Amino acid sequence: MSAPAETHYGVLGIGPRATPEQIERAYRHAAGLYDADALATYSLLDTEEREQARERVEAAYGVLRDPSRRHHYDVALGLVSEASSPPLAAAPPPPPGTGRAPVVVLPDPVTGPDLKRFRESRGISLREIATASKVGIRYLEYIEAERKDVLPAPVYLRGFVQEYARVVGLDPRPTAESYVARVVSAR
Amino acid sequence: MSGALALALPRPVRRQIWSIGGGKGGIGKSLLAASLGWQLARLGKRVVLVDADLGGANLHTCLGVPGPSRTLGDFILRRVERIEDVVVDTPFPRLRLISGASDVLGAANINYQQKVRVLSKLRGLDVDIVLIDLGAGTSHNIIDFFLISDVSLLAVVPEPTSIENGYRFIKSALYRRLRNAAPNPAVREVIDAALDQKSTQGIRTPLDLLAAVEREDPAAVARLRRELGEFHPRFIVNQVRSPADIAVGHQLVTACARHLGVRASYAGYVHYDDAVWRAVRQRRLFAEKDPDSAPALETRQIARSLVEGETLALTW
Repeated sequence: MSAPAETHYGVLGIGPRATPEQIERAYRHAAGLYDADALATYSLLDTEEREQARERVEAAYGVLRDPSRRHHYDVALGLVSEASSPPLAAAPPPPPGTGRAPVVVLPDPVTGPDLKRFRESRGISLREIATASKVGIRYLEYIEAERKDVLPAPVYLRGFVQEYARVVGLDPRPTAESYVARVVSAR
Repeated sequence: MSGALALALPRPVRRQIWSIGGGKGGIGKSLLAASLGWQLARLGKRVVLVDADLGGANLHTCLGVPGPSRTLGDFILRRVERIEDVVVDTPFPRLRLISGASDVLGAANINYQQKVRVLSKLRGLDVDIVLIDLGAGTSHNIIDFFLISDVSLLAVVPEPTSIENGYRFIKSALYRRLRNAAPNPAVREVIDAALDQKSTQGIRTPLDLLAAVEREDPAAVARLRRELGEFHPRFIVNQVRSPADIAVGHQLVTACARHLGVRASYAGYVHYDDAVWRAVRQRRLFAEKDPDSAPALETRQIARSLVEGETLALTW
């Protein structure tokens, strides 16, 4: 079972430089893992163990989602000094390699279904992409469905696909170039 | 890996043995094996599929091939001397098959020497990948093929019975591996107690087991920890119908790490599709019949990822 000294970061499976967005996603994953009817744990843990695990997840999330509580917690762990600023939502993203999974390049040509499969495999919803990218959810659906009749002009489409790719962890430029070239040639 | 078997087998660098197990029958494992084999062949790999499905060998049907007259049983029972004599061609370039139809593998009547001979000869085949369809259950023969594999795949469907059996398969395989590595009878006794469902020692997980071994023989636990660290099953979630089903694979990986101490990974998922069922009815390989269907594209992605050593990982 979990080590007694496990930190809140460890409970959620994230690093201490995790962004609010990453904390949110990690929390949803962990909370889903300990739902009463979760397939992955119902036969592995008894009710009491699952409840305890769930409480640890909620406690971790309660601290890490709150910038002020997180700051105090980080100070207690020795991660930051008392005088440093609390991490806010606007804190800079972690340097490459410290937080996110490696950026992926899909094989050429990149299709709408390819993008959808990759997104789903990462457990990311269109709503999350829309929130993070400011691209309308309707356009994101068109991109995945390759609705050539309603997709915007290439100059806009390229930007939208780059934003989509950035959020799901794909390399934005080659993804957008490959997708747009294929869609435009088929128009 | 079994210590004795490891010593008996040469391990060439390029040639690999992959296996696909699942604990439970009826989850589409043979179809997955056939499709993965076909996709690997399309990627340029020379592949031999081996049907080791106990009592239900039908990989040939998944490939649309008539039941071969020569099978793995002929080699095991020494009706033929060379394993190459039971390898048959399929209609697909670079993809060949060792059928297990009506054979004995998985039953108790394949002994240790026969097993070592089969494994040794499979490793000696002039191919890139030997992909073994293990069939249902957790018998020692099935587990041993899983443990000697370079790539050990575990197929589940997002249903309680399949997940339960998947965990049972992981525990059976891991405990057998640990038992083979146990340095003395006292440690083996602790492992046997863990295997005994009615044991009163309270050993429910591999982590409990390591704690019990540490109490019994502190010097032995480092070796068992090493074995645990090298045990690396890869999940394939078959017949998914929703994003929540896809997420089950990620949850299994996390649950294995946190509650079993097992470093599993997520090789990929395959959507449920009636096209697969229709292809089976026509005795056609679905991936070949409908290469642009979601299941075909997803098995292609899994094959490619496995060749390149990639897994599905969450983005944090």
